[in-house]
Amino acid sequence: MLDTLTFKIKRQNNAESSPYWENFVIQYIPNSNVISCLMDIQTNPVNSKGEKVAPVVWQSNCLEEVCGSCTMVINGKVHQACSALIDKLEKPIILEPMSKFPVIRDLIVDRSRMFDALKKVQAWVSADGYHDLGPGDSQSQSVQEVAYKLSECMTCGCCVEACPQYTKDNNFLGAAAINQARLFNIHQKGNDITEQRLDTLMQEGGISDCGNAQNCVEVCPKSIPLTESIAEIGRQVSGKLWRNIFKA
Amino acid sequence: MDSHFILRRISSLAGIVPIGLFLVYHLYMQLYLHSGAEIYNNEVNSFYDSPLATWALIIVVYIPLLLHSIMGVILVFDNKIQPSYTYFSHLLYWLQRLSGIGVLLFIIAHIWNAKLGPWIEGTWGTHFEHLSSGFTDPETGMITKTVYVLGVIGAVFHFSNGLNTFCMTWGIALTPTSQKRVRIFSYLVFIFLIVSTFYALSAIW
Repeated sequence: MLDTLTFKIKRQNNAESSPYWENFVIQYIPNSNVISCLMDIQTNPVNSKGEKVAPVVWQSNCLEEVCGSCTMVINGKVHQACSALIDKLEKPIILEPMSKFPVIRDLIVDRSRMFDALKKVQAWVSADGYHDLGPGDSQSQSVQEVAYKLSECMTCGCCVEACPQYTKDNNFLGAAAINQARLFNIHQKGNDITEQRLDTLMQEGGISDCGNAQNCVEVCPKSIPLTESIAEIGRQVSGKLWRNIFKA
Repeated sequence: MDSHFILRRISSLAGIVPIGLFLVYHLYMQLYLHSGAEIYNNEVNSFYDSPLATWALIIVVYIPLLLHSIMGVILVFDNKIQPSYTYFSHLLYWLQRLSGIGVLLFIIAHIWNAKLGPWIEGTWGTHFEHLSSGFTDPETGMITKTVYVLGVIGAVFHFSNGLNTFCMTWGIALTPTSQKRVRIFSYLVFIFLIVSTFYALSAIW
């Protein structure tokens, strides 16, 4: 029977300082998850050498794997800390911040690049103005069935963290943004600006930076068919390429 | 649409048409090794009888190959190694890059050995004798054979796995089911080309 639990945590004091490793030993509680253990460490922030240190900080909100804010690298693989169950993890448990984003402190990273990517592909329905636009068009059952799954994306960062093509040195938009472009391209109102989305995706950082490693679809906590979305956007830009060459 | 996108798409297409098709034709020609020196040499030399042979090679093989190689070398260095994600498709991703670099080195050696070397020596035309003497040389034969085996496996893998990624990139295979079908097809292409080429090489082993 386990009675203690060791955490090996990659810490960093601020955005500029260099990272270091620190171990923490806490009481084992059955059915706990990584967040509840981090809370225990926060309550009594004493490292394995017995030194009282600044508590480990992390980001979390919903605690039910729908907000994506507690995403971190747990035992080498990216996952939400709230749904990472201690009983199912190898011990000792190694926690690291995601490696593709700038670290703010300890396990907190700045995911702005992902949100900027959503802006770049205009992942929204462009309905401007405050006047009454009347009721929206209804969505057909077949479109709804596809769209619902795609809309479950919480921009957590798992797909881009696991992607070998997404690095700190390039400006790849990543699977999440490509998937959202597909979602709004099939939306009955969002498809107004399909061509603009494809224009963005046909530039550096767009769809052509995908290397087909397919890690994104393997790690997606929401099981979104990301490779299907990438292939679908690939098909849409192939069509646009054809139109640009022969119809423009 | 910018040059970044267009160059990657052209490079992707070039890998299948014409480079992939040339590879299949080139491997098919090797089956004539079983017909003996005279027929093999005639088959190869007959291609060069055409007044456009050199131009055809430059346009259909060398330029696309150069573009595909340059693009390949560029994208081999733009990524992050992440060994903890041990998925099969991730392995294929790295094998595609590894085989690409390996095959590029093989092609450089192959063009030197089978083409430029004989031209300089003035033995151009006796392809069969050149190849079989290289394979049976008591000192360097084993090395030549090993390099050829690795080169053929690398090239055939890069082509058949490339068929797979081509279908994703261009949006030909959309759903996981159709992507799986394409993957099975690419396995069959791999096995077929490997068996055919090793059968061809067995004539001079």
